[in-house]
Amino acid sequence: MFTKRPQLALLALLVGCARDPSATEAASEPQPTVPSSSASDLPGHGSLAQDNTPKEGPRLLPAEVYIQAYLDIFGGLSPMAAELASRGKEGSALFDAWRDYTASLGMPDYEKDIARNGQTNAMMLATFERVGIALCDRAAERELDTTPRPALDKRTVFAFEPTPAAPTEAEFATRFDVMHRIFIGYPAAMAETPRSKRFFDLYTSTVAKHSAKGAPASGLSPQSAGWAAVCYGLVRHPEFHTY
Amino acid sequence: MGGIPCGTVFAMTSDMKRPLLVASVLALTATASSADAARTLTEYRYFRALSVDLAGRLPSRAELAAFEKPEFDVDKWIDAQLVGKAYADRLRRAYMDLLRLDIGNTFAFRPATTVLRRQTILGPDGKKIYVYYRNGQRRSREATDGVFCLTKAEVGVAWTTAGVAFGDLKAVDAAVLAANTVTVKPWWLGAESWLAPEMLTDADGTTKTTEVRVCKEEASTASTGTVFWTGRKAPVAGAPIPYDRVQALPLDDGYANTNKGKTVACDHATAVTHTTDCGCGPSLERCMPAAGNNVEPVAFTLPSGSMLGIERPTSTEKTTQSAWDRLWWGQEAVRYLEWLARDDRDFREVLTGKSTLVNGPLVQFYKHQAPASCCGNGWYFGYDKPEGLVDSSKLPALAPTDAANWKLTDRGPNASGILTMPVFLTKYGTRRGRAHVLYNVFQCRQFVAEDVKLEPSTEPDLTKRPGCSTCHATLEPMSAYFARVLESDWTWLPPALFPANSDKCKSDPLKMSGACKSFYDPSFTSTSKSLLRGAYSSAANADAGPSGLASKIATSPEFSSCVVSNVSASFLGRPLGTDDAEMRARLEKTFVDGGYKLRALVKALVHEAAYRTANNLKSDAWRETEGK
Repeated sequence: MFTKRPQLALLALLVGCARDPSATEAASEPQPTVPSSSASDLPGHGSLAQDNTPKEGPRLLPAEVYIQAYLDIFGGLSPMAAELASRGKEGSALFDAWRDYTASLGMPDYEKDIARNGQTNAMMLATFERVGIALCDRAAERELDTTPRPALDKRTVFAFEPTPAAPTEAEFATRFDVMHRIFIGYPAAMAETPRSKRFFDLYTSTVAKHSAKGAPASGLSPQSAGWAAVCYGLVRHPEFHTY
Repeated sequence: MGGIPCGTVFAMTSDMKRPLLVASVLALTATASSADAARTLTEYRYFRALSVDLAGRLPSRAELAAFEKPEFDVDKWIDAQLVGKAYADRLRRAYMDLLRLDIGNTFAFRPATTVLRRQTILGPDGKKIYVYYRNGQRRSREATDGVFCLTKAEVGVAWTTAGVAFGDLKAVDAAVLAANTVTVKPWWLGAESWLAPEMLTDADGTTKTTEVRVCKEEASTASTGTVFWTGRKAPVAGAPIPYDRVQALPLDDGYANTNKGKTVACDHATAVTHTTDCGCGPSLERCMPAAGNNVEPVAFTLPSGSMLGIERPTSTEKTTQSAWDRLWWGQEAVRYLEWLARDDRDFREVLTGKSTLVNGPLVQFYKHQAPASCCGNGWYFGYDKPEGLVDSSKLPALAPTDAANWKLTDRGPNASGILTMPVFLTKYGTRRGRAHVLYNVFQCRQFVAEDVKLEPSTEPDLTKRPGCSTCHATLEPMSAYFARVLESDWTWLPPALFPANSDKCKSDPLKMSGACKSFYDPSFTSTSKSLLRGAYSSAANADAGPSGLASKIATSPEFSSCVVSNVSASFLGRPLGTDDAEMRARLEKTFVDGGYKLRALVKALVHEAAYRTANNLKSDAWRETEGK
């Protein structure tokens, strides 16, 4: 059977190349031009679409829950009240308007048939950063740099008393744990990495920068700026945005 | 597990001015310290996921503290969440993501018969005043029949239907104004917070509006009218339009000619366009306001970002009267889906349910506005009073301004879950579009074209046409179920007046009347038959209506597995795959055995290992070098 294959192929070639007399006649007559196409000739129809959806791993927080978390952490305000509070005295310098962020946060738009975005992208991360920083700065102003400070149970981000002097690593850790539970939902010491130590380094370096001679003016005290930086780190943390 | 004792955080406070407060917080958190060791990271993450999915937010500090106590019962906590609003929101979101039942401004429902436009004229004292009127309003005074109720000779200006003015305003005579207009306190002034600023003040821009001036015919509160017949002849070509009008005088149409003097109810468009005595009713409730006279003037200030609920919008915007309708159409679907979840209804009711939830604006819409799209030249078939998809006699008594009050109501025999809601019928305007989305969302099936040549064809039957038949052999019979609901509309075509095969319209298709063409398909018309549009593939399906399709889908074996797939995918953040076959089968059994209740399904789902461990990756799993 194997030995017959070349012969069959040659035969097929010869048959295929033989001229069909009727074809010559037909070619000399005007033929109707019928447009036709195979579906596989059309771009994108040659093969089945690939399924690129993730098969495992953490889910992105639904945009509604993200906004709700933002509002809760901001103090239980309505979205429009939180928008005003986030803008503060600086107008749109820190926070524009929810309508500018809802799409980039992955919110679906049923009117326009825009689906929910279940995966992060550069715009989304930039939005997390922008609205997160507004949240942290306003919370630092409200909960750390106000005199007298709000009662502890009214503090939604910095729900602890800062140390009068620079905190030790242990003092920092206990306070960081409060924030870690608020944003990430479990004790900081359970993180797989030495998270508390790394955030302590962030805190101390930020305080040092803000305390340095010639440092740019800031609306926050150096210690509050340090805590705000810790807040930035948590509000931008992948574990905050996923579940 | 080495968790940091929470209580120590607060024990270190230096703020001794609030000892009681500190003590209470200590009490809240200190007990957790002894139990920290009992909770694993996986459990914390599971609890956070449950909170996100069932409570719609991150766990609060108090909830975390409670969770850390050894006696905390997660199952009990789950059960408590499964009767809450956030759970209903979550399920609603899962299906709204699939159905996207919201409509943008590309669809504007603004029938002339229900929109009260506003002209600005000069009052007797020479100051600007507003007068509301309807385009097309029939009036016994010939000079103003079908147009604004004051002539150019009286106010100095005549307007086109699009609001373009010809002439210069002049002060109107007090007696003329009194003879042709009246003042009314309209319903919309009871909904101030929803109104555009332009609706809140008189023409001087400062005086708060307490009543409005309206043409007297529009102010009529009569519930019946008499078909108005003028005997007017068509003008000679080139003859000037009388009374300095910019629009020709309206002529009697076929309906007026055949029904002259007939008494008709004032609750639908045919009556409004053929009588002089059917007005906007008490408080002008049959009409919607508009702060101008152009094609679609502004009227309301409405939530434009309402993903957290219309009570908590992320923004508001000034918008038109048709946006008011669209908002409440969308909210009807939202409330219906939430009701199914919150009351743990048989979820097949999403397709088959005869009930709905309505508020004041929706009652007003169903009673007074929905009939305004009926019946056009349906009168040729004897259809001059619409048979609604909602039985308006069963609607609750709610004022148009009562937007916060939602009542469950029976819609009547033609209703069928979301399939007959205005938002579905207009979002998916075509019969095929409606069938297609249901096939996708409730059968979890797609139409995939076969790999064949698409040859030109004159075959009107798409179930037979090569290259089309693969999909349309299924789609056409499904879409036939919607043959009795007009496209981009909700007008129901009753079988008695519109049989699937019409003797009245059978003819040479090239000689079909305009009325027949409106409802019957020339491609399926001959001297022996004339088929209702969309019904050619199955007259039986057309007669069964949307509820026939709902029943067919809800009783199909694909329905329950599709619900399981959709709900699971929403909660797991990924589609189910072949590896999930066992879980899918377990969940489907739970769902079906439990009477198609979502609560049982969700409860089982959140106990599945696939859900419990869905977020059990290390935080550095998606970072190759830096695990922060």
